[in-house]
Amino acid sequence: MNKLAIITAFLGGVRNRYMVYHPDRELEAKLEMASKVIGCEGVELCYPADFSDIKETKSLLDRFHLGVSGINFRSRRTGKWLRGSFTSEITAERQEVVDDLKKAIDFAAEMGCNRITTCPLNEGVDVPFEADHVKMWDYAAETLTAACSHNSKVKIGLEYKKNDPRTRVIFGSAGEVASFCHWLDVDNLGATFDIGHSLLAQEHPAQAAVLLAKTKRLFYVHLNDNDGFWDWDMIPGTYHLWEFVELFYTLRKLGYEDDWYAFDVFSKEVDQVETFDAVMAMTRKLEEITDRLEPAEVEELLTERNPVKSIRYLYSLI
Amino acid sequence: MRWKYSANAGFFGARHDRFNQYQPDRSLDEKFALVSQVEGLTGIELKYPGDLDDIQRARELLERYRLELSAVNVNTKGIDYFRHGAISARSAESRRRAVQLLKEGMDIAAEMGVSLVSNCPVMDGYDYPFQADYAQAWGDFIAGLREVTAHRRDVTLMLEFQPHDPNARIMLNNVGKVLYLCAEVGVPNLGSNLDIGHSLAAGESPAESAVLLAGKGLLRYIHSNDNTGDGGDWDMISGTVHFWHWVELLYTLMQTNYAGWIGADLAPRHFGPGEAFHTNIMMIERMTNLIEQAGLEQIQMLLKQDGNTPRIFEKLTASFSI
Repeated sequence: MNKLAIITAFLGGVRNRYMVYHPDRELEAKLEMASKVIGCEGVELCYPADFSDIKETKSLLDRFHLGVSGINFRSRRTGKWLRGSFTSEITAERQEVVDDLKKAIDFAAEMGCNRITTCPLNEGVDVPFEADHVKMWDYAAETLTAACSHNSKVKIGLEYKKNDPRTRVIFGSAGEVASFCHWLDVDNLGATFDIGHSLLAQEHPAQAAVLLAKTKRLFYVHLNDNDGFWDWDMIPGTYHLWEFVELFYTLRKLGYEDDWYAFDVFSKEVDQVETFDAVMAMTRKLEEITDRLEPAEVEELLTERNPVKSIRYLYSLI
Repeated sequence: MRWKYSANAGFFGARHDRFNQYQPDRSLDEKFALVSQVEGLTGIELKYPGDLDDIQRARELLERYRLELSAVNVNTKGIDYFRHGAISARSAESRRRAVQLLKEGMDIAAEMGVSLVSNCPVMDGYDYPFQADYAQAWGDFIAGLREVTAHRRDVTLMLEFQPHDPNARIMLNNVGKVLYLCAEVGVPNLGSNLDIGHSLAAGESPAESAVLLAGKGLLRYIHSNDNTGDGGDWDMISGTVHFWHWVELLYTLMQTNYAGWIGADLAPRHFGPGEAFHTNIMMIERMTNLIEQAGLEQIQMLLKQDGNTPRIFEKLTASFSI
């Protein structure tokens, strides 16, 4: 069974363009909150925010009995890299992000999680003729290959997302990440598969998961839900109930079952511990429904491709 | 200039999205200075609470920078007691405060000599199924707006629909609901501020929405901008994505003799607000020019024919050839 982790950034102040929700908090307060969430077994740490003193970070993790699912490398920083870091037109910025990512890779090795995830949100464009797409893809290839060569044991997952803050981010779908990784042919570069982002790209998450697994790029899974219009980071299953059951069933088939699920769920008006309690409970409920699926029966239904029979079977389980 | 252009002062200061801040914080004085430098802008839209807390100061700035107040924008966002809703909130106290704020905005507008108050009711919405009691929320929404508009009839409240943000669903999320709401409230001083980006984000053709509103006398104000149509309210320069939809909208405004303001909500991120607002005006003027070159009557005639698309575009693009 996959273990459950919370991304630390979602335990402090979060904002959208209009509002700020919850106070900013120090790592200690965030980890204390994570330890209070029923069913939470670890955290995804954010770099650089959570790494000002790695000894202190490690001792806090021990104190609160929390594991580490991965390190989230921020490729967007306050006041810089606004026009991209991996794909910036400025050579010094590209060098700077590679150097910094190498430091995060060293931390991932030291923490033993051997996994980096990065959401390249500023790498993209807003309008036609804004940037040279040929150069942008070449820059992405060059910088990410350089970073990956630093330590082949540490996996780097590109967390694709269609938009925000750019109207179009360079990595927007599973297919784009899969073909990019295929082009580069670097074994430790793959995808962080965020289900909300997959839904935003109008994907069937289970279908996308298989493509990523077939191309050996399914490195890591983030769970959350949305309405298909925007990355609202909602509680899994509140919009896409059966998609999540199909996803969990498929991930078991693909062998992603002794790993981590990390959550980016955006709590607005409701207390964050209370929200994450619901997130953990809802996830385990969805897994319980998945447990009730009888593999032999499901496989027969999938072969038959009769949606009416499949749906009747699904509803017999709840 | 073919149209009366105004700018929303808020867009000349710091802007945020979920991840970044763009543009520095600027004082109201600095915002006025920047707006006044943009060729073609004669109006400015100011916020209450905020820009209009000190009316005397706002008056002095309007005079000094020779700008006309186009509308008072009452802001119900970002205030703690509206987090679970404003006009439609479960809490009677939150509803009372929202109604009070809108009434104050109307009084300020009258005092400043303008008859338009705009409000984008983004806090009246929800995220999850089973979060809202729709019957209660709509009932209170309608009752609240009746009370606000009864406060004084010489000022019109213009509601600006928007599909979402910060709520995943805003109650007033498309033109159809505006039409319904205005009919339900049934007063002459309730109208609409049509934000073109919001209409595109709601999957509409803005020209069609404008016709529906104008037909009921509800089209009182326009916020110009554009977006990618993915649902995000990107506040981009008009015509950079939906060029032909914008041309069609301008044709419609000409057809319906729209004489109101063309305001703008533009979020410049990697360049200055002055440049963004000026380019926006130039784009709208250029697109308007395109219609004039094609001939309003010619377009009107072609619109009466089935299968007119090839001829319409031939007409509209005639001036592209050198």
